[in-house]
Amino acid sequence: MTQFLSYATPGLPYGCVFALLGMGLVLTYQTSGVFNLAFGAQAYVSALVFYACNADGWPKWAAFLVSVVIGAPLLGLVMDRGLYRFVRTKPVLVKLVAALGMLIAIPAVFGIAFPSANRYSPPSIWLSPSVVYFHVAGDAINGLELSTVVLTAVVALGLSLMFHFTQAGLRMRAVAESPGMVQLAGINADRVGMSSWMLSSFLAGLAGVMLAPVFGNLQPLNFTELLVAAVAAAAAGSLQSLPYTFLGGILLGLVEELLGGYLPSGHILSSGLRPALPFVVLLALLLFLPGLRRRWQGARDPLAGVNPPPAPLAAAVRDPGLRRVSLAGTGLLAVVFVVSCLTWISDAWVFNLSQAMALAIVFLSLVLLTGMSGQISLCQAAFAGVGAFTAGQLAAHFNVSLLVGIVIAGVVAAAVGAVVALPALRLGGLALALATLAFGLLADNIAFQYSWSGNGQSGISIPRPVLGPINFQGDRAFFCLTIVVLALCIGIVVAIRRGTTGRQLAALRGSELAAASIGIDPRRLKILVFALSAGIAGVGGAVYGSLESSVSADDFNTLLSLVFVVVVATVGVYTVEGAVEAGLAYVVLNTVLTSPGVPSALANVLELVFGIGAVVYVLHPEGAVEYVKRLVLERVGRRGTEREVLA
Amino acid sequence: MPPLLEVSGISKRFGGIRALEDVSLTVGAGEAVGLIGPNGAGKTTLFDCVSGVTQPEKGTVRLKGRRLDHLPVHRRARLGIGRTFQRLELFTGMTVRDHLAVAEREARGDGRLWKDMLWRGGLRSEEIEHVDAMLKELHLEAVADAPIESLSLGQGRLVELGRALIQQPALLLLDEPSSGLDSRESAELAGVLNQVRATRNEAVLLVEHDIDLVQAVVGRAVVLDFGRVIASGPLDEVLSDPAVRTAYLGQPA
Repeated sequence: MTQFLSYATPGLPYGCVFALLGMGLVLTYQTSGVFNLAFGAQAYVSALVFYACNADGWPKWAAFLVSVVIGAPLLGLVMDRGLYRFVRTKPVLVKLVAALGMLIAIPAVFGIAFPSANRYSPPSIWLSPSVVYFHVAGDAINGLELSTVVLTAVVALGLSLMFHFTQAGLRMRAVAESPGMVQLAGINADRVGMSSWMLSSFLAGLAGVMLAPVFGNLQPLNFTELLVAAVAAAAAGSLQSLPYTFLGGILLGLVEELLGGYLPSGHILSSGLRPALPFVVLLALLLFLPGLRRRWQGARDPLAGVNPPPAPLAAAVRDPGLRRVSLAGTGLLAVVFVVSCLTWISDAWVFNLSQAMALAIVFLSLVLLTGMSGQISLCQAAFAGVGAFTAGQLAAHFNVSLLVGIVIAGVVAAAVGAVVALPALRLGGLALALATLAFGLLADNIAFQYSWSGNGQSGISIPRPVLGPINFQGDRAFFCLTIVVLALCIGIVVAIRRGTTGRQLAALRGSELAAASIGIDPRRLKILVFALSAGIAGVGGAVYGSLESSVSADDFNTLLSLVFVVVVATVGVYTVEGAVEAGLAYVVLNTVLTSPGVPSALANVLELVFGIGAVVYVLHPEGAVEYVKRLVLERVGRRGTEREVLA
Repeated sequence: MPPLLEVSGISKRFGGIRALEDVSLTVGAGEAVGLIGPNGAGKTTLFDCVSGVTQPEKGTVRLKGRRLDHLPVHRRARLGIGRTFQRLELFTGMTVRDHLAVAEREARGDGRLWKDMLWRGGLRSEEIEHVDAMLKELHLEAVADAPIESLSLGQGRLVELGRALIQQPALLLLDEPSSGLDSRESAELAGVLNQVRATRNEAVLLVEHDIDLVQAVVGRAVVLDFGRVIASGPLDEVLSDPAVRTAYLGQPA
């Protein structure tokens, strides 16, 4: 018992933080319909501001006031007024992309604003971590733990009093119950949404400042992973109950530390499972908690109206003549691009452009999944990793040529994709996004750590192939191989789009009920597309790995999956060209910004651009490039007709 | 020879509400039957039970003598049940022609992924012919290539009808095709339905409030009220039945 307690007590502060963030998630989801994945980033920002104020010698109460009491709600207010209030009635996909954009853009903005690199040992929020106040079951409780628990208890008590006894709390509960009715009763739901954003951002900020000292240094990624625990807590409350969310968060923190105590130390399971526990719990909750499943099967957001139709694609407004011209133009550009790469472009840039083309294959998988079938996946990087490691291990152990390995990589990734999709697709929408997020984190924290897969940080090597007399070792030769694989994958996606499956997907995206009423099996079709998409991502991963010659688990981490979604959504998720343009944009921007001579603070500009790009997605779902193309083509078209009229 | 559709003893509850209580009805091959009753009588629930959108707690649905219990919607569609929806369910982002084309391909059941991959997934000439014929039959040629969002409600209903008809279902379930239409559109719809009835041999089960439209299309009717069948038989008899008049118009003072 004593041992149990001594294992469990260190988990309490973690639990408190999970609970606070989880309650923030539930609060904003209920009152504004947005599942705010950016709370992790907001927690990071408050921790960063608190750190900076302390470093400047401010007293703690002043730093706390600026970072948590004023700064955090202010950030929430800005996000709500500037973005989230406009996406309330949009489809789940748009809301998710907007939140992902914020998740990526917010740390980038503050990275540019506070450019100094390493921040070690962030200060405690209140009591000193080096002072031990008392012992519980032989376990020393230091000031950090004590202040976390006490502050959380105070906030929880305050919240509960507010919800039961104040006008504002009552209104929030009412809005969560039925936003429409509340409007009729003369309450401004928009205003209530705004205050709930400020309140939940405050919770996020508080959680961030409390947790920062535990991490030991300030890294945005830590806070992003923290969010998954909060999501698991929110799931425990079925995304609607604050008390259950609170309880879920606390329990999760306790169990995490208990596992750490009882599992043999040094084994991958204990070093991997402990941080991965929230994702396991989340997956289990999603799949097996019947109430939650029923709730999400209905798949209606509290505020979502009827999904508006997707914006007309540029293709739709082009007349056939212009279409032919643009098709010929694209072909010509592609030829010029390939010829240039083989002749005058420098070796270093040929390598970069090969990277872009390999990434374009991975992005293509998102065009198929999100653009053509309206589903979302937050684990495409994990599928790419599965492909890369499959090809690498096959080459290392069975001497399989990479050319064969790429194909097998695609098949294995597709199989893994199908396994992920089978249970998750019953859920759909937001639940699917969260399940894929959990899977991605499981993959990079556990599965990719074993030596038979990704071999963790040290990674594995993937040889470049030789085909008879043709040797793909050189960068230019490998570039050709990348282009061929990309062209094949584009061929597959285009063939699917123009064929039966493409029409079925379009129908399914329009109305699942009507699609079933004409004999389309929605489940089979979704699993098929999810598996195909995973397979394409796997092929892309294998090509990318072979290009790099050696890859590790870090090359396919979950943050990258999120960035992928945002990048493709920014550039154009509805067209095949969009994937290629996204690959080019991402790699070229990345290379230019990280090249020597560019100030290091600018490295964050990449994230900022695509984070803001995700906001553009809310307005122009067809993507930035398609939007510009349409403007240009419309102008050309108008000039053409004017000329005809004049003639 | 069993009837085309045989619903026997179906009951369905939603929480404490009895949506359907021991409902039975039959539709013969090629027959047009009206299903009428006041709002909330359970008509759409019955449609959902027949097409597989919901499962009844009790009772069976048979199509051509075959039990359909627990078959999902798409399997029943392949067995020959086509339907339209009271609230339009169209494929946003697709043109009218695409709506018909996807249904046409589905009815033939020969769309395969490997055919797509071999570049053989495009529309074939006979499919294009079928689609054009259907567009003509429903007078939709003018809007054939218009995006579905630009259509009027009446045209949308016609597209739903065409999408179901092009599959040549044995049984067509029409859920309030005239709701939201003005009287002129409604009369046009009756014309189209009659023309369809005259040239094809689908059986029709029609839910409808517009008695003119019902009279124009069906010969026999079943009346539901509070989830129970309160009358059935030839349309004129049913309409003059005092119980039906009470259900629709309320208790005479």
